[in-house]
Amino acid sequence: MDSYSSPPMGSGGRAVSPEAIMEQMESQLANAYAEEFVETLREKCFDKCVTKPGSSLGGSESSCISRCVDRYMEATGIISRALFTKRS
Amino acid sequence: MDSSELANNPQLLQYLNQQKEKAMVNQAVSKLTSVCWDKCITDKPGSKFSSSESSCLTHCAQRYMDMSMLIMKRFQQ
Repeated sequence: MDSYSSPPMGSGGRAVSPEAIMEQMESQLANAYAEEFVETLREKCFDKCVTKPGSSLGGSESSCISRCVDRYMEATGIISRALFTKRS
Repeated sequence: MDSSELANNPQLLQYLNQQKEKAMVNQAVSKLTSVCWDKCITDKPGSKFSSSESSCLTHCAQRYMDMSMLIMKRFQQ
């Protein structure tokens, strides 16, 4: 049984406090968000930078990937500002 | 605290609602970033965005929202 379907129990079989649940959720959510973001980075940057896969990742591909990661994070900021900053 | 008490715990319910909202915001931002990246970043990524790339990203997000409103209205008629 995984941690999502089992009831929140402490090690002694006693139910745990709301605080403990929130704390656990906080870190699980942070992991899930990070994992999803990294998967998106892999997809987008492979698409953009490794157009013809060769026998190894070349230097220009590696530097493209590192720029791609930086730009994608910047793009995320631009999009979120565009959505949540009031337009005049 | 047993599980039925826990299910009605106001602090926990409030936390869950906050997380739900956060998840929706997060989903909207990642969806739009993905769509607008594909549309606006046509060259290999450089060491900084050109001004046309960054304004394309901003406009893309705003127009996408305008469009969703239009589509919503289309089905409310």
